[in-house]
Amino acid sequence: MTAATLVHVVVSGLATGSIYALMALSLVIIYNATRTLNFAQGEMLMVSTFIGWAAHRAFELPLGVTLVVAVVAAAAMGWLVERAIIRRAIGATHWDVLIITLGLSLMLRAGAGLAWTHDDFPFPSFFDSRPVALGPVRLAPVSIGIVGASLALMAALYALFTWTRLGRAMRAVAQNQRAARLMGISVERVYSSSWVLAAMVGAVAGVLVAPVVFLSSKMGLVVINGFTAAVIGGFGSMPGAVLGGMLLGVIENLAPLYLPSGIRYSVPFLVLIAILLVRPAGLLGRVEQRKV
Amino acid sequence: MRARGLAVAALVTALAVWPWVAPRYFVFLASVILVNVIVALGLNLLSGYTNQLSFGHAGFFAIGAYTAAVLTLRAPATPVVVTLALAGALTAAVGLAFGVPCLRLGGLYLTMATLAFGFVITEAILNLDALTNGADGLRVPAARLGGVALSTDAGRYYLTAAVAAVMVTAAVNLVRTRTGRAFLAIRESEIAAQASGVPVAAYKTLAFGLSAFYTGVAGGLFAFVVGFLSPDAFDVFLSVDFVVMIIVGGLGSVPGSIIGATVVTLLHDGLAAFQNYRPLIFGAILVACMLFMPGGVTQALGRAARR
Repeated sequence: MTAATLVHVVVSGLATGSIYALMALSLVIIYNATRTLNFAQGEMLMVSTFIGWAAHRAFELPLGVTLVVAVVAAAAMGWLVERAIIRRAIGATHWDVLIITLGLSLMLRAGAGLAWTHDDFPFPSFFDSRPVALGPVRLAPVSIGIVGASLALMAALYALFTWTRLGRAMRAVAQNQRAARLMGISVERVYSSSWVLAAMVGAVAGVLVAPVVFLSSKMGLVVINGFTAAVIGGFGSMPGAVLGGMLLGVIENLAPLYLPSGIRYSVPFLVLIAILLVRPAGLLGRVEQRKV
Repeated sequence: MRARGLAVAALVTALAVWPWVAPRYFVFLASVILVNVIVALGLNLLSGYTNQLSFGHAGFFAIGAYTAAVLTLRAPATPVVVTLALAGALTAAVGLAFGVPCLRLGGLYLTMATLAFGFVITEAILNLDALTNGADGLRVPAARLGGVALSTDAGRYYLTAAVAAVMVTAAVNLVRTRTGRAFLAIRESEIAAQASGVPVAAYKTLAFGLSAFYTGVAGGLFAFVVGFLSPDAFDVFLSVDFVVMIIVGGLGSVPGSIIGATVVTLLHDGLAAFQNYRPLIFGAILVACMLFMPGGVTQALGRAARR
């Protein structure tokens, strides 16, 4: 194997990893605010991408507008799910809410299947998938495009969490909900905003990845990779989610080159178990000290 | 107490006469329910009592099922009781080997590790062609007990019912032993249990082993009940189903495991007629169930009874 091939594989790994990272980020955003693991995150991504695609087909929208439609649809869905269902589960434990989001994911997948069948559909891409030669290295513009767009979105998220009132409120709630409430932060607003924000991030990931993996009702299963990425990085840590996602994507793309086909699908999980054995709270996570 | 005795007697009688009164398919369905009851008991020992939520129990279930199947294929004369005990023991060994390093993992990290475990097991089964016949699947011969082949639905049903009865009794009694009390203490508060001198690590490991044993035995029974094993039957969705059973039924409760396993199995079966609408309806039921009965069916029934 040449160095050029290696670069090619690593870059496409980073592209896959960016999607995992965005998925992991959206899981972490909701978890930090509400301590809920949202099983339906992948299905919300899938449905909002489908809505964008349906609008694209019906009104022959340009791709940029399609993206906006998907993101707006996702925001509406995130808001609706939080307000109509999650917030009503008052007496429920985290486990109960986990089952609620699981139920939602089943409903969304089945609903998408009924509305748009369970087939695969081609999705238009912002970027070209034919590789171009850069010296000895051949790179697909789509890989670079996905990485670039994801990095831009991550930078926007970083700005949001660092410099805006809402972002600071969200970080405060993640640290200590009661103290945040006492400081006059509306925790309920943070809950809704987290669901909306996470859904929007998911929709961008969906529009970015749909041209590569095809649009289908099974697309939501990417949530498992997102969860794996978030855990590798340390659940709750946003830089960790990005790191975990990139790592997972690169490992997944490199594994088939070096390992027999029999175990290649297990590699991400074996890596995960190995990392957790050494760092039980993920790469960038901190072991929570519980006070009695 | 007398009412409870009567209820148990009625349940045992109903289980005993079931194959005589029910059509063949419902005898099979009852066997599947009983298999799931055993898994739910095992998973509840781990998740309900020691707060370790596992999304990898389909992996343990698969180990039990394939152990029983391979053993029966290679040594057909083995009595089924021995086969099941070995299936349980091997699964428990795997569970312990996996559980010890996982002691350091809390909450979501453990959940993720078990999820990964499930994936690795499915891949391993696919790749161990020589033993498991890979993706083509494995036909399981009839179980033998004292020279008799249990080749009818009723025969398999009675085997499953007998094993389930033993497992349920054991689980009910376990709660009253020192080990059971330790589990309960860990469920209420790990820190308080540790402070009171309960060796938390040892009991959490034990819970892993016991849970895997229950699931392995259930897997062995499953192999005989359905008669055909294929790796894709043991995917992550099965693990998720097991978790749904114990949360819908009620965490940390033996009746909860029984009710949850029964309800979820019947729902899956009953909704089969709705085809494409099935996951939609099942999902809606899950959402409604947790919204209106937080803590599961058992707790809701308990609240209703007290009112």
